[in-house]
Amino acid sequence: MKEVIAIIRMHKVGQTKNALVEAGFCRLTAIKVMGRGKMLKDLALVDKVNEEARDTLLESLLKGGRLIPKRMLTIYVRDEDVPKVVDTIISINKEGRIGDGKIFVLPVLDVIRVRTGERGEEAI
Amino acid sequence: MLMIKAIVRPEKTNQILAELNDAGFPAVTKIDVVGRGKQRGVIVGDVVYDEIPKELLLIVVRDEDKDDVISTIMKSAKTGEQGRYGDGKIIVCPVEEVYTVSTGKKEL
Repeated sequence: MKEVIAIIRMHKVGQTKNALVEAGFCRLTAIKVMGRGKMLKDLALVDKVNEEARDTLLESLLKGGRLIPKRMLTIYVRDEDVPKVVDTIISINKEGRIGDGKIFVLPVLDVIRVRTGERGEEAI
Repeated sequence: MLMIKAIVRPEKTNQILAELNDAGFPAVTKIDVVGRGKQRGVIVGDVVYDEIPKELLLIVVRDEDKDDVISTIMKSAKTGEQGRYGDGKIIVCPVEEVYTVSTGKKEL
């Protein structure tokens, strides 16, 4: 079993949920999070900004920038379903720009359904 | 790759994020959480505060960067020289795969 953690843009959550349901994965947990990524590394782009804004831009870049609101989706799936879930999330969220998000796949040792006490793959 | 989960004091977060950025690890996700530790929360007279606000930082790094990140967090998350109860915990989990959505590639 695997835990798929996807950090995506806020306004893509609805579409992602619908696409996941169509792909057969109704279950998910969503949390509002703040975060930042690797940010802009190409300093040549800064030269294109006008003089006044350049200083504040450089300052904020060096400080690491502010945290941006994102949604974190956590989905527990069977090993064989990981590629399907990952592909679904990427296909909806890929805009080709910085800030589209990241997907992490973590191993899960056991899952227990509280209502019945089932364990392992049956509980997913 | 490894996911480093750090539960830290909310008032220390800004300093930790700045230090991480300087150390070359800008990417981080922050979640507000509440929790208690081994001391069962803060006990003042008859009142027990066992849902103490903390912040959870998630950082995914390559295996070889683990010690760097942990020592950076430790340095700025500690209260004073000795440290105090409630300074937090750092948990390290394995991550099997990482995808970048904007490129669709399997890389950090």
